[in-house]
Amino acid sequence: MREGPSISSLLEHPWLTVRVQLALGAIFVAAAIPKIADPPSFAHMIYNYRLVPGGVVNLAALWIPWVELLAGLALILGVWRRGAAFVVGLLLLVFIAAVGINLARGHAIDCGCFDVRDAGKTETERLADMRWVVLRDAGMLLLVGQLLFATRGGRPQPEPEAGRRQAGSPGSPDPVP
Amino acid sequence: MIAAAVCAIVSNVLAGPQRRLAWAGTIPPSSGTPAGRTTPAGQSAATPAPSAGETSFPPHPDKPWVEIPGDAAASLHARGDVVFLDARRTAAYREGHIARARPFSVWESDVDDKVRAFFAEGHEPSAPILVYCSGGDCEDSHILAQKLFLAGFDNVLVYKDGFPDWQKRGLSTTKGASP
Repeated sequence: MREGPSISSLLEHPWLTVRVQLALGAIFVAAAIPKIADPPSFAHMIYNYRLVPGGVVNLAALWIPWVELLAGLALILGVWRRGAAFVVGLLLLVFIAAVGINLARGHAIDCGCFDVRDAGKTETERLADMRWVVLRDAGMLLLVGQLLFATRGGRPQPEPEAGRRQAGSPGSPDPVP
Repeated sequence: MIAAAVCAIVSNVLAGPQRRLAWAGTIPPSSGTPAGRTTPAGQSAATPAPSAGETSFPPHPDKPWVEIPGDAAASLHARGDVVFLDARRTAAYREGHIARARPFSVWESDVDDKVRAFFAEGHEPSAPILVYCSGGDCEDSHILAQKLFLAGFDNVLVYKDGFPDWQKRGLSTTKGASP
C-alpha cells in the first residue's frame, strides 16, 4: 500500500519552494524601491519609530532598503537562496519587534513598509495598521521558515521538472520508496 | 550586506540634493527632551507660551522653542517682518507653503548648511522666527527649532498645527520652489 506524502515532503516540495521564493522576493523588491527612491522620507519614518539613535537614522535609511532589494532579487533569481532567506527572516524579526514595541507603547506610526509618504491617517487607523503589519510579517516569517526548511543541508536548486517528478507524474520514476 | 552598503553609498553620492542624506544624522532627540544650550545663571526656566492673539513674543533663551497657535502665527505673518521657515520636504513645499516662508527641510542633506547660511545673513538672534511643518504629530518643525536654537537663535516659535491649519484658515499661501 502506498503511503501519502508526509508534511515534511510537502514543505520541501520544489513547487511550493519556488513560489514562496518568488513571492518573498517580489514583496521585498517592492518594499525597497520607494525607500531607495526617497531616502529622506524613509529616514523620517525610522525616526518616528523612536528606536534608533539620531546619529544612526540616516545610515539605517540608506542601508536597509538596499539589503531588502538585494535579498529580494537573490530570492527571485534563485541565487544564494539560503543566505537571502536568512537576511529576509532577520529583517522581518526586526520589523516585527519595531512595530510591536511601538504598539505596546501605544505610539501610532506609519509603518513605512511599502510607502514612505505621510499617509495622513488617524491615530486609530495607524494602530490598526500596525497590528495588521505584525500579523503580516509573522506570516511572511512562516514563509521564510519554509524556505530555510526546504534548503537545509545544501539541498539542490528546485527545478520545475524535479517538482513534477516528485509529484509522481506518469512516466517518471516514483521518488518515494 | 556589504554589497548593500556599497550600493547605498553610491546611490547617496549620486542622488540630487533633495534626495541625499547626510552620512551622520544630525537629528536631535525626539520632542520632550530638547537638547538645550546652557541656561544663563538666574534665568527662569519657565517661559510662558504665547496665548492665542498675543502679539508680543519675548525671547526664550532657556528653551529651544515655544509652540504657538494659528492666531498667533497669523498675527506674526501680518507683521511682515517675521521670518517663516517651512520644515517639510521640498516636494511638499513646492506644492504649497505659507507665503514668504523659506524651505528648510530637516530631512534633506543641506539643512545644516541652510541654518549656517541663515545665521550668516545676520538676523537678530532674539527676533521671532516661526517654523512649521504638517501639524498633528509632525515634529520636523521642532527638529528645525532645535537646530536654530543651537545656532544661536533665542526666539524660535513652532506653529504646532502647521500648514494644514493655515490652509483651513484660508490664509495666504504660495506654490513653487521660492518664497
